[in-house]
Amino acid sequence: MSFEPITGRYLTITVQGRRQRIYVEIAGQGAPVLCLHTAGADTRQWRHILNDAELTAAHQFFAFDMPWHGKSLPPECFQTEEYLLTTEAYMETVLAVSRALGLDRPILAGCSMGGRIALQLAALHGDAFSGFIAIEASDFQPAWYDIDWFHRPDAHGGEMGAALVSANISPHAPQAERWNTLWMFMQSGPGVFRGDLSFYTRDDSLIGRLAQIDTAHTPVHLLVGAYDLTCTPEDARRTAAAIPGATCTMMEELGHFPMSEHPAGFRPFFADALTRMKVSADV
Amino acid sequence: MRATLAQMQQRLHDTPHLLRLGRLFSDTVLLEVDGAEFYLTFRDGRLETIVEGPSRKTPWRFALRTDADALAQFWQPIPKPGFHDIFGLVKIGRGRIDGDILALIKNLRFFKEFMGLARAESRTEELA
Repeated sequence: MSFEPITGRYLTITVQGRRQRIYVEIAGQGAPVLCLHTAGADTRQWRHILNDAELTAAHQFFAFDMPWHGKSLPPECFQTEEYLLTTEAYMETVLAVSRALGLDRPILAGCSMGGRIALQLAALHGDAFSGFIAIEASDFQPAWYDIDWFHRPDAHGGEMGAALVSANISPHAPQAERWNTLWMFMQSGPGVFRGDLSFYTRDDSLIGRLAQIDTAHTPVHLLVGAYDLTCTPEDARRTAAAIPGATCTMMEELGHFPMSEHPAGFRPFFADALTRMKVSADV
Repeated sequence: MRATLAQMQQRLHDTPHLLRLGRLFSDTVLLEVDGAEFYLTFRDGRLETIVEGPSRKTPWRFALRTDADALAQFWQPIPKPGFHDIFGLVKIGRGRIDGDILALIKNLRFFKEFMGLARAESRTEELA
């Protein structure tokens, strides 16, 4: 028997006065990197990066499931609550997890809504991090769909959500990883994808904050897949252009979940992004 | 187009997992290609009839309207960005979806994989 090098642990933090039991996966040694999953999914999206022998030789990766997601429980009394993620709760969660893990200015790497909150944190809490890798991240996109579709009693929100987000996966993605990626959406708890989308599609507060980001102290690199219909290359380029000093790379054969849908295709772009964090951190 | 739809119909009926996914889907879908109408009537996941329009009296649940070139690109083994999904066609202005969208969303995996059945090679179920 041979275990993967990923270790899973639990910790409890307090967010907006409520206790949250959080699941964290850890791998590697070196400069800390805190990884954020997309809406409607969980830490498994980062499994290939955390299992990468070369990247984990120089970095210690921490990936955690947001409350309500994956193996993190919802808070006490969730059963009568409508889950609606907010920018404030999301930022507080990331900062609380980083503190609880004892991380000293980690690199923050987030995808989709994780990339969106990474840029919010870059604008408002830049000193808490050493750099930001914002993947499939943009200033704002309103929904073309009705987020209520994904939480209703007469249909399976997870299956519908997976079918919808499959539009964002590149045809270059290996079949097995395409379906592993979609499985996470199928497993998502009732109303969770909807609650994440509420944050992602209704809060446009980042737009006015992008110019505040100080890339001289905390570099920002955006990665965007050509097959991403949600955060298109145009969306990412527009966002990067509004951040003085930010850089942006388009990934021709990837979509909205690059680290999960096509790990081999994503790896060189992510390795390059980590290098950009190091170079700038020395300035 | 008629021959392609007949081929898709046969492939659907030869694809057990699609018949299982679509077992509760019994509706008529309008597929419009360069203005030509095709009414696809599904019953319990099987494509029962393919009726060409024009028709003003055939009710349909939802419609996908596009053009032949866009569909040809959609059916490439590795479509270019935007042509890789029916919502991609809408996003790039080469398609329009209307009618009862919720009915489509409830059966989205089934319908997307059905639309992928004419793809040039056999990876339809993963690309749809």
